Amino acid sequence: MERVLQSKASRRIRNEWYWAWFFIAPTIIGLVVLNIIPIFQTVYMSFFKSGDFGKSNVFIGFDNYIKMFSDAQVWHAVANTLLYTLLVVPVSIALAMLLAVLLNGKIRGKSLYRTIYFIPMVAAPAAVTMVWKWLYNTQFGLINYGLGQLGLPAVNWVNNPNVAMISIAIIGIWSVIGYNMVLLLAGLQEIPRDYYEASEIDGAGKWRQFFVITLPLVTPTLFFVLVTSMIQSMQVFDVIYMMIDVTNPAYENTVSLVYLFYNNSFKYSNKGYGSAIVMLLLVIIMIITVFQMKAQKKWVNYM
Amino acid sequence: MRRKALPLLLMLTLLLALTACGGSGKSEGQSNSGDTDQQGSKGKEVTLTYAMWDSTQAKSLRTLLDEFEDKNPGIKVNVEVTGWSDYWTMLEAGATGGSLPDVFWMHSNEIYRYASNGMLLDLTDKISSSNQVDVSKYPDGLVKIYNYEGKQYAVPKDFDTIGLWYNKTMFDAAGLSYPDETWTWDDLYNAAKTLTKDGTYGILAPLHNQEGYYNFVYQNGGTIITDDKKSGYDDPKTIEALEFYIKLIHEGLSPEVYGDGGRAEMVQNGVAAMGFFGSWNLSGFTDNEAMAENFDVAVLPKQERQASIYNGLGNAVAFNTKHPEEAWKLVEYLGSKEGQDRQAELGIAISAYEGSADLWLSSNKTYNIKAFVDMVQYGVIRPYSNSTAVWEDKAYEALKPAFMGETTVEEAAKNAAKIMNESLAEEK
Repeated sequence: MERVLQSKASRRIRNEWYWAWFFIAPTIIGLVVLNIIPIFQTVYMSFFKSGDFGKSNVFIGFDNYIKMFSDAQVWHAVANTLLYTLLVVPVSIALAMLLAVLLNGKIRGKSLYRTIYFIPMVAAPAAVTMVWKWLYNTQFGLINYGLGQLGLPAVNWVNNPNVAMISIAIIGIWSVIGYNMVLLLAGLQEIPRDYYEASEIDGAGKWRQFFVITLPLVTPTLFFVLVTSMIQSMQVFDVIYMMIDVTNPAYENTVSLVYLFYNNSFKYSNKGYGSAIVMLLLVIIMIITVFQMKAQKKWVNYM
Repeated sequence: MRRKALPLLLMLTLLLALTACGGSGKSEGQSNSGDTDQQGSKGKEVTLTYAMWDSTQAKSLRTLLDEFEDKNPGIKVNVEVTGWSDYWTMLEAGATGGSLPDVFWMHSNEIYRYASNGMLLDLTDKISSSNQVDVSKYPDGLVKIYNYEGKQYAVPKDFDTIGLWYNKTMFDAAGLSYPDETWTWDDLYNAAKTLTKDGTYGILAPLHNQEGYYNFVYQNGGTIITDDKKSGYDDPKTIEALEFYIKLIHEGLSPEVYGDGGRAEMVQNGVAAMGFFGSWNLSGFTDNEAMAENFDVAVLPKQERQASIYNGLGNAVAFNTKHPEEAWKLVEYLGSKEGQDRQAELGIAISAYEGSADLWLSSNKTYNIKAFVDMVQYGVIRPYSNSTAVWEDKAYEALKPAFMGETTVEEAAKNAAKIMNESLAEEK
């Protein structure tokens, strides 16, 4: 009798295993086919001088990496990528947090605001950049027109090497705020109301409530948002690609690693070198992420 | 039992579907010959894909293709338009994955890569046995672009030259006479100086090769690439031309313009009185009311000699097309006198076929488009080698500091020559 029960139980467990695998299969297959395999192919490719159309690749060992380390443009791209991340991540998270807290309160038309803030996330980055490009236009742009009305001098948003990165970061921040806000909002709603009621009775003001209750308890979501938006920012490409071309004076100050990878792989058809550049990006992202994982123990509170 | 079998079965079908997707690319290539036989004998309809990068041409080209379809029942042509820079990414992916369009536009920048790697169908025999296509009726330089190791890989489609566009209203207001074929650099410079007033510039001198300084380099007797594939940027004549060109910016006669960034808008809105634009802009400029009203086009000015950069596209066929006969029929028609004449009449592009360009002149009444055709006799083929796309960008990067006034022109040009030579050395 006992044995029958046992085998029944194990069969059920096995059955559950099958179902579990079945349910995650689409994700796993997608991950393997679209991410894992290409990563290994990229590593492999980075040791070759690539021939055209995937034919006659020549093994050259570490030559691509040696070339990369002495290529000033690659290091500019590293600096630009990090600068972009540094500009976009803190500002976008701070603003998203502010909006999330405001929208978490009792305001009329809350869902309308949520939708409005989320729209940039839905719009195609290429289309968004086209519109911004016109806003930024030195001669006819709306922004410079506005500055002119205020009696301020026109700014060369796209071509000035000192300004272009800021212009790009503004688009980046604007596009990502809505997404971060929705995630943070979900985090805020998980905080039990009791804490607020209790603190109110104890006489805590709104500010104190925010710093003592809201902020510590939303840290798990904040951590997730931080990690994902860091990685996303490190991979910035479309905005810069659409706005800055190689003739632009700001090219050297804005070219990101992925943009450089794209140019080398597809424009100059040097896929081996492009792969080496992308490996560098992978390593940088990995180092940053490992560091964040380690650091989270210091500041993330899981309830 | 049934409950366990179901997920396994589903997973299996999923895997099968996936492997089927992956395999289809290969089987396509293998079943080539079988397919054409079947289709030929059954008289089934064949659909050809025709890829190009110019959406304005694509619209009027449709009329021509409709005529082709009427003449060749059983062949349908599907036009696929992809913007210039994505076009080459798309084509390369297609070439690598074995799914090239049947017929597509070729360009001097890329022909070497495609021809030398066997991605294009060798059209030599088809051309010699055809009574419609005669390459001797095309400008020699254009035919040569698409010839690799004695084999012809594309039939010339059209050509383009660069014109000097000028704002008639502004010229009238300044009391200047319009540019014509007698104009020299001095005339250009003086006109630009007269036309420059606060808020408006006399001319546009962008950091742009084909629609910019290349023309000046050849007018001055310089070169961009020598016959033995060395950079011409350190040629004193080239440097002299660049110095003249960049002077226009540094003296405030031209705004600083980089690449394509809003150049057309600047002349359209009266920010600049003169600009260099290729003939392919014609339909866009004709549609623009402000431009149609105020502007006209003339041949480029001369210095040591007259020169305009000219280039021409070709129609090429994929090496692994399933329908080589039908694809050739299309290319043959587009390259025949009839096809070329129709292309010119419809105003699609300047037909390269001998005499066809004259028909093109009547396709546009707004501008003096004869200037574009006149320039062919002294036109210089856009400089190219086997890795044009690489050194063109490197040269831009090297010349940029001179345009920005950070280094001298000579320094920048010599640097461009050095980088370009390095890139040319890697070509082999």
